[in-house]
Amino acid sequence: MIKWEEIKQEVLHDIEEADSKEVIDKLKVDVLGKKGMMAGFMQQMKTLSPEEKREFGQKVNELKKLFESTFSARMEELIEKAMLEKMKKEAIDITLPGARPYNGSLHPLNLVQQEIEDIFISMGYSVVEGPEVELDFYNFERANIPQGHPARDMQDTFYIDSERLLRTHTTAIQTRTLEALHDKLPIKVICPGKVYRRDDDDATHSHQFVQMEGLVVAENITLSDLKGTLELLARKMFGDSRTIRLRPSYFQFTEPSVEVDVSCHICGGKGCPVCKGTGWIEILGAGMVHPNVLEMAGIDSKKYTGFAFGVGVERVAMLKYGIDDIRNFYINDIRFLKAFTRFE
Amino acid sequence: MRLSYNVLKNYVDLHDITPKQLADSITACGLEVEGIESVAYATKLTIGHVLECVDHPDSDHLHVCQVDVGTDVRQIVCGAPNVAKGQKVIVALPGCKLNGGEIKEGVIRGQVSNGMICSLAELGVDKKQLTEKQLAGIEVLPQDAVVGNTDVLAYLSLDDTILDVGLTPNRNDCLAMWSMSKEVGAILNRKVTLPDYHVDVTETPSTLQIQSETDKCPVFLGKIINHVTIKESPKWIQNALHGAGIKSINNVVDISNLVMLETGQPLHFYDLAKIPAKEITVKQGLNETYTALDGIDYEIKEDDIMITTNGKAIGIAGIMGGDDSKIDEQTSGIIIEAAIFNHVCIRNSARRFNLNTEAATHFIKGIDPLACVKAVERSVQLLIEYADATGVEETVQAGQLDSAEKQVSVSLTKVNQVLGTNFTMEEAVEPLARLDFNPVIENDIITCTIPSYRTDIFIAEDLIEEIIRIRGFDHIVSTLPVMPTTIGELAVNERKRRLIKTVLNGLGLTEIVTYSLVSKKHIDQSVMPLESCIELSNPISDERRYYRTSLMPSMLDTIAFNQARSQSNWGLFEIAQVFDGNQNQQERLSMAISNTMIQSKWQKINLIGDFYIMKGRIMAILEELGFDEKRINIKPNDIDTNTFHPLQSASIYLGKDLLGIFGRVHPAKEKEYDIDRCVIAELNLSVLYEAKPAKIKFQPICKYPAVSYDLALVVDDSVVVGDILACIRKAAGRLLTEVEVFDIYKGIGIPEGKKSVAVSLSYQSYEKTLTDQDIAPINEKVIESLKKTLNAQLREA
Repeated sequence: MIKWEEIKQEVLHDIEEADSKEVIDKLKVDVLGKKGMMAGFMQQMKTLSPEEKREFGQKVNELKKLFESTFSARMEELIEKAMLEKMKKEAIDITLPGARPYNGSLHPLNLVQQEIEDIFISMGYSVVEGPEVELDFYNFERANIPQGHPARDMQDTFYIDSERLLRTHTTAIQTRTLEALHDKLPIKVICPGKVYRRDDDDATHSHQFVQMEGLVVAENITLSDLKGTLELLARKMFGDSRTIRLRPSYFQFTEPSVEVDVSCHICGGKGCPVCKGTGWIEILGAGMVHPNVLEMAGIDSKKYTGFAFGVGVERVAMLKYGIDDIRNFYINDIRFLKAFTRFE
Repeated sequence: MRLSYNVLKNYVDLHDITPKQLADSITACGLEVEGIESVAYATKLTIGHVLECVDHPDSDHLHVCQVDVGTDVRQIVCGAPNVAKGQKVIVALPGCKLNGGEIKEGVIRGQVSNGMICSLAELGVDKKQLTEKQLAGIEVLPQDAVVGNTDVLAYLSLDDTILDVGLTPNRNDCLAMWSMSKEVGAILNRKVTLPDYHVDVTETPSTLQIQSETDKCPVFLGKIINHVTIKESPKWIQNALHGAGIKSINNVVDISNLVMLETGQPLHFYDLAKIPAKEITVKQGLNETYTALDGIDYEIKEDDIMITTNGKAIGIAGIMGGDDSKIDEQTSGIIIEAAIFNHVCIRNSARRFNLNTEAATHFIKGIDPLACVKAVERSVQLLIEYADATGVEETVQAGQLDSAEKQVSVSLTKVNQVLGTNFTMEEAVEPLARLDFNPVIENDIITCTIPSYRTDIFIAEDLIEEIIRIRGFDHIVSTLPVMPTTIGELAVNERKRRLIKTVLNGLGLTEIVTYSLVSKKHIDQSVMPLESCIELSNPISDERRYYRTSLMPSMLDTIAFNQARSQSNWGLFEIAQVFDGNQNQQERLSMAISNTMIQSKWQKINLIGDFYIMKGRIMAILEELGFDEKRINIKPNDIDTNTFHPLQSASIYLGKDLLGIFGRVHPAKEKEYDIDRCVIAELNLSVLYEAKPAKIKFQPICKYPAVSYDLALVVDDSVVVGDILACIRKAAGRLLTEVEVFDIYKGIGIPEGKKSVAVSLSYQSYEKTLTDQDIAPINEKVIESLKKTLNAQLREA
């Protein structure tokens, strides 16, 4: 009589003991191979009576199935174990720094400029650029600053000859736009660009700086529309809780003219060194486009009104990032530039 | 301007308004207060009597004083050289806070000191207002000063506060105290009481002759006062001048200055005895040296307006009088001048002479056309009262006063339309009435008569501004424009510019912005310079004399700056304009990459900034913008061999148009700028903006695999890889999809003067999987062609 239970236990034990793929492969051949133990049993079966055959065959098949599944389970176990061991050897120090791509960034002035542009593009404004070397005509005459006006002073303007100069404000782009689009109203543009003044460079003055002016001309444009637009700008630039206030001022290009203060983003209006204790920071000049300016461009000032505003990009960047010296923007110290990876 | 709170108080009731409140109110209405300062600052002061003053036993300059301060007699050590027994002095008691700190009881070199005897400077009085004597020692008070009086600042009329008001150029009328008072009255809605300057005096016919020979002096009023007495001004005049920052000289000179402050009209008083001809002519066209009141010689040119008598200059009109006709202690009669001079002329002259006198400032900023009349009358009144004036002659006038009434109208509809408000007629008119504009209503129209000093009001919009200014901008609500929808978009080339910047940022390049104005050296060192350049007619310095014609010199400066600060890992770029003298404009891109751009030091991942890195980056930009490699031509750089290493640089063309130059910096230039090895490029982006990019077209992904075939060639050193690639492409035909260089080798196994170039060719067909039989004949053809045209040999394995 064959001791099935003993055979079973013995084989299962051997499988359990096998600790490598090689050992298990050999064992498998010994047990399940063509000349293996189980095949031997099948040979024996031939000699048995049909009655015995059935019972014997059942037992052999049962064991074969059991062994096969045990072999493959053990095999899987061993493969997994081997992989784990291999991976163990592959362990790395995850605290070492990553291989970061070499980051480039935009200049902070262009970062701010793009941000303002995008705010206005979203409201239907188009960006218009213009030449930095400008005609006196567009820079002054058309901006309602006639000959002899103090604002045209040689002291403040870089002249090239009697007709040409370096534009002193982006209003020159506006006067060109008014002329070009006077018969294609409404006008809704934002005009960014470098401008030049005959100033000596110091912490708060720069002979070159970036200005952005906005201009809207259509029927029924009001000072309230200007206030609402600038309030939106202030909130986008300095945070949702900002408010603005208008103060009367004077610009040749506009009438009425206003100076626009935004509630201090540092102290929230309580008063601090940045706002000089007032709770307000002056950020831009604005007003309703002077009827002379519209008329000179060929626009009927009785039918159409408009507003215009101008903001200094350096000033916004300085306030926003707490930069105390305007020259930083033009020195291009890489350590300075690298701080400005995004607009906040 | 300096606005004295105490002087203003004389005209407007301010009893319940502090200087700070006043500042806030007028700032909100457009008169921006930029600073508030007390004339003097001190607490716990009293008036003392020096009973005894002896030298300090242990010092060569200190004095030990016994001072009666009313409540007690105390010992005070004083270092002032002028302190003496019997003086009435200002005493700061212990606990007194001065700008310099707090006074404490103490012992000075063994002597008890219970306070300090003060100078005016120690009380914070502006040093410019003090005499040298006052600056050198303590202030000695008049003998009638009451000992123990603790309100010392009021006693000295130093209890004033000065508001520093920044006037916008259209509101220079507020330089005149009377106009300022009217403005403050309108803002606060309070009554304004100005002095009544009318005097009943019998004037005798004038013996003065006046004429103006230039249209730059349209009006000139002259008046002789035969007798005046020179003495000290009354305290209130001195204080008013001090408040404005003007020194008191004597009663007559002070009156001319006071009247200018009050009316805004600069006056000049001449000593009558020194103009015996009693004739005054205003002239232009003189060319001479002239000694003015300050004793300095000025070169007079033709454009300067001059005051003359008998052909001899006696003053630079509107700026400064002459030394030989000035008022002095002996003056007994005067000629009053009140005139209007052209502001542009005065500005030019004042600037050339560098003379920023009060008078010049008033003329430059513009004056009330009728102020001269008021000023003469007010002068007469004050001279009679404070200088015993008699012998007053009639006023003589040259030219015509502009006394036409100016009327401006606006409709209520327009007011609300421009402002976006809902003001009633009453609300709109009330501010105009407060401003003395005498508004008259007819239906919807408001018509105002503008006072002569408001030279800034011309059109309806000016009235609208006045209405909202006085009513307050807090009446403006926030709305957004209601108008036809417009499409917002970027400027013409901006989309491409932004794309380039995004690509460059991704490639590790940081943007810089440098100045457009440069030196001659930069112009001379320009890369691809324009034909001419723009030179400023009035530069600030030689450093900033020209508009640049290339970005590269500024880039090299920036590299040098950073390298000097031990920054050695960088990629930089700038996009900016260049101009030539003929209005031609180009947009340029400059780039620079340092020798290495380390990505991970411990892993030893470096980008070596060489020619090929730069070439690859340029190609990346071009591809991004839609310019296929096939349209790009790279040629040896024979354009600029000063900036670039001649054998490690190239010129790059889009078709036939020069796009730029790139490569390594010339070793000599590296030395000149003291920079390490790096690669640079300057491109003319305008060429790219104008050229038409390729259209993006969909192409199905090929279903069949690609077959690759490697070739190792041995060629002469002089053969360039570009020619090998071109030869392969030409011979292989359309099934060749890619050819890649994967090794360049010289050395063992390769004969002298030769090099090995290994390339990998990829073939692919849209019709079937290619077999060896398909590509073998192509490869043979390629090898044959390479042998024939470039004398290339297959390298033995």
